[in-house]
Amino acid sequence: MTISFKQIEEKLKTEAKRLLESGQASVVLAYGKGYDEKHPMPYVARNPSDVANIVFNEYCNYNMARYLVRYPAGTKIAVAVKAADSRAVIQLIQEEKVKREDLVLLGIPVYGMKNPKTQEIIDGKTTGGLYNPVLYDILLGDEVHGQAIQSPYDVLAAYELMDKEARFAFWKKEFDKCIRCYACRKACPMCYCDPCFIDQNKPKWGDKSPQSHGNLMYHLTRFHHLAGRCIDCGECSRACPVDIPLYLFHKKVAKECEEMFGQAAGMSIEDKPALVNFRVDDSDKILE
Amino acid sequence: MSFEPKILGIACNWCTYTGADLAGTTRLQYPQNLRVVRVMCSSRINPSFIFRAFQLGADGVLIGGCHPGDCHYNTGNLYARRRLAVTKKILEFSGLEPGRFRVEWISASEGNKFAEVVTEFTAQIKSLGPQTKFKISQ
Repeated sequence: MTISFKQIEEKLKTEAKRLLESGQASVVLAYGKGYDEKHPMPYVARNPSDVANIVFNEYCNYNMARYLVRYPAGTKIAVAVKAADSRAVIQLIQEEKVKREDLVLLGIPVYGMKNPKTQEIIDGKTTGGLYNPVLYDILLGDEVHGQAIQSPYDVLAAYELMDKEARFAFWKKEFDKCIRCYACRKACPMCYCDPCFIDQNKPKWGDKSPQSHGNLMYHLTRFHHLAGRCIDCGECSRACPVDIPLYLFHKKVAKECEEMFGQAAGMSIEDKPALVNFRVDDSDKILE
Repeated sequence: MSFEPKILGIACNWCTYTGADLAGTTRLQYPQNLRVVRVMCSSRINPSFIFRAFQLGADGVLIGGCHPGDCHYNTGNLYARRRLAVTKKILEFSGLEPGRFRVEWISASEGNKFAEVVTEFTAQIKSLGPQTKFKISQ
């Protein structure tokens, strides 16, 4: 079975048109034309006539849940979500940033999405092993089944085996490339703090110029802030202009959180985010 | 000259800090390498404090809090336990020696335990040597 992107695009258009015309949604967050086919852009449709601009193809990686927090509370939003994106929506609902009743989720069951930079299929790396959205109102197309289930954490194995000196050298090399454009922060659906800790001057947490120690502080703290919240969409590493594999570190933290607290981010509306929750019987072993 | 590590201690006001006081009043001997900062609760510790301490040249960070269930604010250290566990994993995966960061639950009556933990931790840091990975080079 192959995914018909054209079919999904048509369904996305009809649903968007219907929602906008009936007033069920005042904005539809989907994908629009970019400067070529390989570079679609996030697109916001506000009128039924905008719907013609919506596209969907294998390069539509963007996590549209990123834009939910930009609208005032109470705005009725319809949003196109793929598997990882729907987890981001769930996580935002858990954190009370958006309300379930204000959202219409247009679920897209899909695999074979490609990274426009490398043409590489991203499934095994950053979709968390999921192909069907976890939460949706309208599913555009049939659920996909039969894909090889890969553990989302398989790619980590090589890095876990490195000894700590090699691992430090690896991360130092990667972080030293960082030019502090904050594209990772802009692309991340969970990074909505205003101001971000790194933009604060009192206290000044880290250096703002692209130097090694400031970069280390920024990235480590960002990994910590996303602990138990990162939903593994991989947008940070795809947005990165210097190709730092941020998703690896996020995955590692997510894996540890899942092992320690028994809950993966964004899988159920009823959960509370792992780090604002506790169990009296959490083991002290987690600190060793 | 032998290596004398700088160790940052962050101690909770109600248990570990009082425990350190008790260790002092009972005249227990422990190494002087620990610099203690008092916070009102172990959950007040922002993980960035720890990263920053390592950047500013700490060779080790020791965190003290009340025993789980004994928190003055009922649940503070239960949040802190989860949070600091994540901090530890992050430090470890970034390549820092895991032995440089430690969390201990020390109650106000455990002056002995405080002295023991500090002695043991200092010895451990001494064997690991100076921390150069995170330190900002001047």
